[in-house]
Amino acid sequence: MFPILTRRELLRTSALGFGSLAFAHMMASPASASPSPQSPFPSPHFPPKAEAVIMLMQNGGPSQMDLFDPKPELTKSNGKTANVETYQLGNSDKLMASPLAFKKYGECGLEMSTLLPHLGSIADELCLIRSMYSEHNNHTEALVLLNTGKIFPGRPSLGSWVSYGLGSENQNLPSYIVLRDPEGYNTSGTLLWQNGWLPAQFRGTEVSTQGSPVLNLRPPTPLAPAVQKENLDLLARLNEEHRRSYPFDGELETRIRNYELAARMQLAAGDILDLSKETQETQKLYGLDNTETAGYGLRCLMARRLVESGVRFVQVFPPVKPQSQPWDAHGNVKTDNEKICLKCDQPSAALISDLKRRGLLDKTLVLWSGEFGRLPVSQNGTGRDHNRNAFTLLAAGGGFRRGYVHGATDEVGYRAVDKRVSVPDLHATVLQQLGLDHNKLNWLHAGIDETLTDSRVTGAKVQGELVS
Amino acid sequence: MRNALLLSLIALSVSSRFALSADGPDFAKEVQPVLAAKCLKCHGENDPKGNLDLRSKAGMLAGGDSGPAMVERDAAKSLLLQRIAAGEMPPKESPQLTTEETALLKAWIAAGAIAPDVPLVEKAGKFDAEGRKHWAFQKIVRPTLPVVTEVAAIRTPIDAFVLKELESRGLQYSAVADKRVLIRRVYLDLLGLPPSPPDVDVFLADASPDTYERLLDRVLASPHFGERWGRHWLDAAGYADVGTTDNDAAIIHPLENRWLYRDYVVRAYNTDKPWREFLTEQLAGDELVDWRNAPTYTPEIRSSLIATGFLRASADDSFERELNTPVTHFAVLQRTSEILANNLLGLTVNCAKCHDHKYEPISQKDYYRLISLVQPVFNPDKWLQPKDRVQPGISPKEQEEINRHNGEVDKQTGELQGQISTLQAPYQIKLAAAKLETIPPAIRADLQAALATAADKRTEVQKYLAEKLGPSIAVKPEEVAAALNETEKKQVSDLQKQIGEKNAQKKSWPNWQVICEAGPPTPTRLLKRGNYETPGVEVAPGFVNVLCDEKGSGVFGVTDSTTQRIVDAKDSRPPYGSSGRRLALAKWLTDETSPAAHLAVRVQVNRVWQHLFGKGLAETPDNLGLTGSRPTHPELLEWLSAEYLQNGGQLKPLLRKLMTSQVYLQTSAVGPENIAAAKTDPENRWLWRMRLRRLEAEAARDCILAASGRLDTTIGGAPIPVEPKPDGTFVIPEKGLPTATSKWRRTIYLLARRNYHPALLAVFDQPNLTMNCTRRESSAVVLQSLAMLNDPVVVEQAAALAERVEKEAGTAEPMRLIETAWQIVLGRLPSAREKQACADLLQRQTANFVTEKQPPEQAAHQALTQLCHMLINTSEFIYIP
Repeated sequence: MFPILTRRELLRTSALGFGSLAFAHMMASPASASPSPQSPFPSPHFPPKAEAVIMLMQNGGPSQMDLFDPKPELTKSNGKTANVETYQLGNSDKLMASPLAFKKYGECGLEMSTLLPHLGSIADELCLIRSMYSEHNNHTEALVLLNTGKIFPGRPSLGSWVSYGLGSENQNLPSYIVLRDPEGYNTSGTLLWQNGWLPAQFRGTEVSTQGSPVLNLRPPTPLAPAVQKENLDLLARLNEEHRRSYPFDGELETRIRNYELAARMQLAAGDILDLSKETQETQKLYGLDNTETAGYGLRCLMARRLVESGVRFVQVFPPVKPQSQPWDAHGNVKTDNEKICLKCDQPSAALISDLKRRGLLDKTLVLWSGEFGRLPVSQNGTGRDHNRNAFTLLAAGGGFRRGYVHGATDEVGYRAVDKRVSVPDLHATVLQQLGLDHNKLNWLHAGIDETLTDSRVTGAKVQGELVS
Repeated sequence: MRNALLLSLIALSVSSRFALSADGPDFAKEVQPVLAAKCLKCHGENDPKGNLDLRSKAGMLAGGDSGPAMVERDAAKSLLLQRIAAGEMPPKESPQLTTEETALLKAWIAAGAIAPDVPLVEKAGKFDAEGRKHWAFQKIVRPTLPVVTEVAAIRTPIDAFVLKELESRGLQYSAVADKRVLIRRVYLDLLGLPPSPPDVDVFLADASPDTYERLLDRVLASPHFGERWGRHWLDAAGYADVGTTDNDAAIIHPLENRWLYRDYVVRAYNTDKPWREFLTEQLAGDELVDWRNAPTYTPEIRSSLIATGFLRASADDSFERELNTPVTHFAVLQRTSEILANNLLGLTVNCAKCHDHKYEPISQKDYYRLISLVQPVFNPDKWLQPKDRVQPGISPKEQEEINRHNGEVDKQTGELQGQISTLQAPYQIKLAAAKLETIPPAIRADLQAALATAADKRTEVQKYLAEKLGPSIAVKPEEVAAALNETEKKQVSDLQKQIGEKNAQKKSWPNWQVICEAGPPTPTRLLKRGNYETPGVEVAPGFVNVLCDEKGSGVFGVTDSTTQRIVDAKDSRPPYGSSGRRLALAKWLTDETSPAAHLAVRVQVNRVWQHLFGKGLAETPDNLGLTGSRPTHPELLEWLSAEYLQNGGQLKPLLRKLMTSQVYLQTSAVGPENIAAAKTDPENRWLWRMRLRRLEAEAARDCILAASGRLDTTIGGAPIPVEPKPDGTFVIPEKGLPTATSKWRRTIYLLARRNYHPALLAVFDQPNLTMNCTRRESSAVVLQSLAMLNDPVVVEQAAALAERVEKEAGTAEPMRLIETAWQIVLGRLPSAREKQACADLLQRQTANFVTEKQPPEQAAHQALTQLCHMLINTSEFIYIP
């Protein structure tokens, strides 16, 4: 008679005016009422090159001229006066040569720091964008920009847009998952995976690598499976009874199915944590045998397992200790980077090489990035302050070019000058690789057709040179 | 929208003309982009340099201070190209035109400079005439009642408007809902709490014809009404207890006494403060009362000042040194007026910060006129950090009195301290001398000289001496105290006691988060591209042009050019040491002669409808502009608005009228009697049945607490703390609460953060208030189910509910327990089938729980807990029927 199962969503969506593309995806998402077809791309804007994204957040502002962007001129000009925009106190106006050594890696001869031997070992997979730039010198604003396209909180994150646009391939898991250090939040916390004004189902779901992987996945005191089953059976009967009076309120059906999904998630989410299926060799690859790398390594490994399970967007966060912005080297560029590289280099590289050998790198895009770069002048003697004018971003897989360096900064690494890539440019390019047109993936909010990139204002353009 | 269409038509016609024509470049596609990139930054829409506006051909022909910029068909004689060729324009430091671009301009002029006559970017004045025709910008006129067929179905005039639309589609109202449904609906809608079983019994037992009306009166008079409807307003105002953008989970910056405003709102709703009074107090309470000269704050002054907490909603990070910058200051100022426009005018003005609004008749100047009204408070030229923005909660005279009193106390304690010193002095000297003896005589004088020299003036040798030996000869207070004889010790102790007593007499005052202008206003400038670093023309205080009558904004206030104060044209009352701008704003928004006031009433009334019917008559409550939704029942919105105006802007009479209408009273359920309507209108757009609505986050939690019987119904006061846990969730701490039941207070009283909410509330769409919120999302995500099943708060309340059920049932008899539980949780008895299903559960779960250690009674209790938990989880529980 009536397609009652999805009517409510249909109403809502048509009332809000979002396109059939997203609607089709919404229907395919696990939280929706429809028995989702296993078709992840009902009607993409472009032929997709990637199906999933793993974003390895490296917050704090990794130092480009010490890690990814060697500057001989900076070495030569060590101690010379420079005119740069500083942010915090303690900055000198004197250029500071990098105290770290660089090395050519891979067949492509990619130059990176000797502190990054593991990422170096997969250099031929990397697309190194040396000409990224931000708009703000404060961590939160810059992080919010990197994740949502604007510096002001409140807009949906890239992951929300991707899961809104593509839905989930997995009936037992949310499509957008966040893996953070169980010890706490990195700077800006949940602001970085918000759904903004997109529906709440597109918010990043926090999955923990210890304890209960999903919030409230299990009761505070354990219940026997038989007890739980009896409970849910009764609930289903009562809700079905209630629903008979409301055949046109599809939300009630969604709710009934959500209780079923909740039960399935208890099993599926348990499975994600079950590392017994991973070989010793794999666990070692990610550094799970080493206390320095084990925490972040486990999150990288889980990210791979989640993507394998059909999750669309996984956001992985670095360790919060000793500081919640681990790359923020105000004090000592050398020792600060030595410490954090030790924790983050091996697992990041392991993820990329593991995806590669499993044939998943072709359809999975891995991004490795901080929110801004650092200044060529010294701060507090041996550190560097924030710099919104340039930073380096690493991309691998998902159709991005391999063994390729894109763009350049000026001779001291202060400002991106050649082939500058804004954050909205990057977002536009990522969406394209997923088969989504950044100007068409929209949501009507407060009378405005909002998009992730807001290209009318930001001038965002797909950077064709980044992809092959 | 029509303007946008018009513009795109112009663009289309232009380009199509060139698609056919071979002569010359296309203005829109080729020429305009070059001008935009290289010239319009200075010669554009706002304050063009040299008065030269290069956006249109007309502008070029008209020219600027140096004469016409263009001679048609003669590029060589055109000043535009002469200046470019001479390298004078664009200025040296700006990007220069490429050879190709210059050639393009030449070719365009040579070919006759074909272009549309209007600038591609419209000027503000242009869309005024068009905008003034928009339905929402008209004066409210009470429409006549429509003629309908089924007159018997009409209970109030509201019904006639809805019925007309129904009948035109061959539809009818559904039957009036069951009394049990009605009382539950009324309680949830008006109080956000379910009726108690005795409430239900009283209502059911009363068979008098006006029983429902009396129920409404009772519930409307409840002090919990203000908690429910005040919450709606707090959303729209963007209320939070924290003052910052709140972007670190672990760092909480609550503003002292911020909650006084929250309580003001709850009280205003309970007393049904008329709209004009309510709004004027909140916008300009400090300009209504002579608080500066009042000997003491009367309740009126207190209320008026606290009401201005309304304007303190914008997040402000300038408390932090690194963020105490113009970027933050301007953001606070701008966000304040953007929240106002969104809440009160139902318009999104944000676009006009950088340029004239593309779709709405709002110019960039309009935006900065609105800014100018709040600028005296949030003045980037005289910025006040949040710590300096607080105002004492007592009158200036009382502050003086307290300062005088405290000064007196200080004087007295000073004297007492002097007596102690006198007693101790001889011992002090003796001890010092003795200590000095321990220093080798050779350096004694040097050491004394070093210590007598100010620390920053000491020589290296003196520094060494002072640091090395200074401490060893310093006499410690306890050494002096110990040296006194017993009588003296007693004397000192008595004196110290007296000092303590005196100090206890010192007085202090609370600080309030209210509004006070920081001195005379400074000029407001239009910011080019919204950037404070590129200020443009000065904008005089005023309003949105399209929302002023033909006489302009002057009706509501005239700016005095010397004082920059707005002097009310009709009312000569002085604004009590303030600029009067916000009083003028309040007048603009409430005076019956002002189009803005009529729009504001529509916006409010539309939201009232939304709160009762799930969707506004216009479905975009924050946008009644050209791009917003048209109302489904335009005349009804007008009628309700007229009604609201007529009853003096009071909410309760309006609610009473709405809730006694058939459209509200009818059932939400679908059955054989009304299912036919679904064929025509499956979405129930036209309201042939009441809409089923999910409870908001706060109401969901409050209802769980009400069901368990644990709800602490205390009204008002400081917020109940909410703390981050290491696992990333937020909970009410067990320790440090005012009372043992404080953790079960209503949700409106929990510490209101912007971005971090307890999980149970966050999953039920409690909004993140970076700005404000006029419409709650109603999502149905799996995390809601998980929270209702496993969140410790819910599990705990399920156990409490089971205890309550056992107590109220007074028996262990399963059927009686089941009935009691249903009555408490769902306000009704279960059907036979439902009862049987519950009985089966109790039986099976009891069997599951029985062990050697756990006797059957305990197992039965646990089974009942499971049943209670599942009843809370039902759809029926969290939907308003």
